[in-house]
Amino acid sequence: MKNIFAVAHLTLKEGLGQKILYSVLILALMVIFFAVLLSGFFMRDIAKIIIDFSLAAVSLGGLLVPFLITVNLVAGDLENRTIFSLLAAPLPRSAYITGKFIGLGLLAGVIMLILSSAGLLAVWAGKMLYGVHFFKMFSPASYITAVFMNYMAVLLLNSLVILWCCLTNSSFLVTLLTIASYLIGQTIDDIVMFISAPNSGVPLSHSIKITISIAKYIFPNLAAFDFKQMAAHGLHIPWSDTITMTAYAMVYSITALSLAIIIFQRRDLP
Amino acid sequence: MLTNGDQKDNPMPTPAIIVFQNVSKVYQGDLFKKKKVALNGVSLEVRPGEIFGMIGRNGAGKSTAIKIIMGFVKHDSGHVMLASREPDKAECHKGLGYLPESPCLYQHLSITDHLNCAAVIAGIPSPEIKPRIEQILQRVGLSQVSKIKIKKFSKGMTQRAALAYALLHNPDILILDEPMSGLDPFGRKLVVDIINDYRAQNKTVLFSSHVLTDVERLCDRIGVMNRGRMIKVMRPDEIPPSTGDHSKSPLEDIFMKLVNSDTGGKE
Repeated sequence: MKNIFAVAHLTLKEGLGQKILYSVLILALMVIFFAVLLSGFFMRDIAKIIIDFSLAAVSLGGLLVPFLITVNLVAGDLENRTIFSLLAAPLPRSAYITGKFIGLGLLAGVIMLILSSAGLLAVWAGKMLYGVHFFKMFSPASYITAVFMNYMAVLLLNSLVILWCCLTNSSFLVTLLTIASYLIGQTIDDIVMFISAPNSGVPLSHSIKITISIAKYIFPNLAAFDFKQMAAHGLHIPWSDTITMTAYAMVYSITALSLAIIIFQRRDLP
Repeated sequence: MLTNGDQKDNPMPTPAIIVFQNVSKVYQGDLFKKKKVALNGVSLEVRPGEIFGMIGRNGAGKSTAIKIIMGFVKHDSGHVMLASREPDKAECHKGLGYLPESPCLYQHLSITDHLNCAAVIAGIPSPEIKPRIEQILQRVGLSQVSKIKIKKFSKGMTQRAALAYALLHNPDILILDEPMSGLDPFGRKLVVDIINDYRAQNKTVLFSSHVLTDVERLCDRIGVMNRGRMIKVMRPDEIPPSTGDHSKSPLEDIFMKLVNSDTGGKE
């Protein structure tokens, strides 16, 4: 266990040193800042716009980790052969993968915590600037739940990126696979809904319908973690949804990581 | 003086600590790469307390052999044991220090960050970590730059940092892949001193190098590799004196002859 946390700590520290992290953090903070300023043009929707933009910034900051930092820190380890120094020590490959996942998860957590706090600050600034009555519908619980769900989606995507890193040595290919996973994850819900809609014009047999509904969860259903709209409208996010999606993210991540470990234990290091 | 290389004359030799029997490895090609035979039936045994040097041209298979010993690369056939265990088991790395060829460390971290992590993984007790790190940094001459990020290090400093990483837990077996690469004369002297210290402590060193004078000076036995095969294993006292070109060292002379005769004079 100590080994895993040593790798996680190393990963977190190395991740925090990446310059790209600060560029995207500044960009996200700017999005929040301008959301406060520009929301004044949409009088009735001030709260909705500030919350929507803040959550989008949190999402952007969170996605930075799987898209850029995970690829850099896991595929980069193999490409630059940094991994040799770590695995020369008595560190099982499974501990390396788990440590990386935890470290990157902590990194995403730190980034999303900073951005969601900035978002809450934006809500407070909006209240000061435009008046408290515009923010009556704001629900801190929904906001926090939406951020948490977003974090779960980032963890899930992280586990997939680690799996891709174990399959190939090429950072470029890993990035492509990550983009594909993200796009599938964001659209799978809509595609499944379209295909299974009674008026889609495509007659579907019962077995195909079952296959489609299974496929919806075999592919990473990232859209299902998106509660931005509910939080922006101050709607209560049901606990059952939160628990179901958390369980889904955990099962999916553990499965992807287990596969990654199996593949990584069998493969040659370049 | 009886060196460990003389153990082969001993009727009851110590069991080998690194065993490599008839090992073959083929890197499978793909769309862009051709299939490559990296090792072809290589056999090698390194006994405890022995300093074993591997020499060979680029692509001869030295690094692949070392990676197989380290468990980074799986061999296709043959038998490999490291301290009586399968090399891909993490436990057998407990008493092992490894310096990779062209080492790369995390660019945004300091050497102290790296060593802290290595110490935890190696199971060094917490109170001993700080003094051990200070001691090893002193040994490799990086005490003054212990807090500086690796990205600001020169190639030689990175090599020293990686050496500190390999030596931190005071391993019984040291495996060095081209340890002299990128080092200035002081760095080279440091590596030579470390290897000599290991000899004095009766610990084992396996290393590959292109600096033949160092290999000749340091090793109890020398293995010459060519085209994925171990074409000769000899002790320094078995090297015949240089004939012909006196600008070459005796080892350089015999190395050229062995490689040329193995390749039939072809490149």
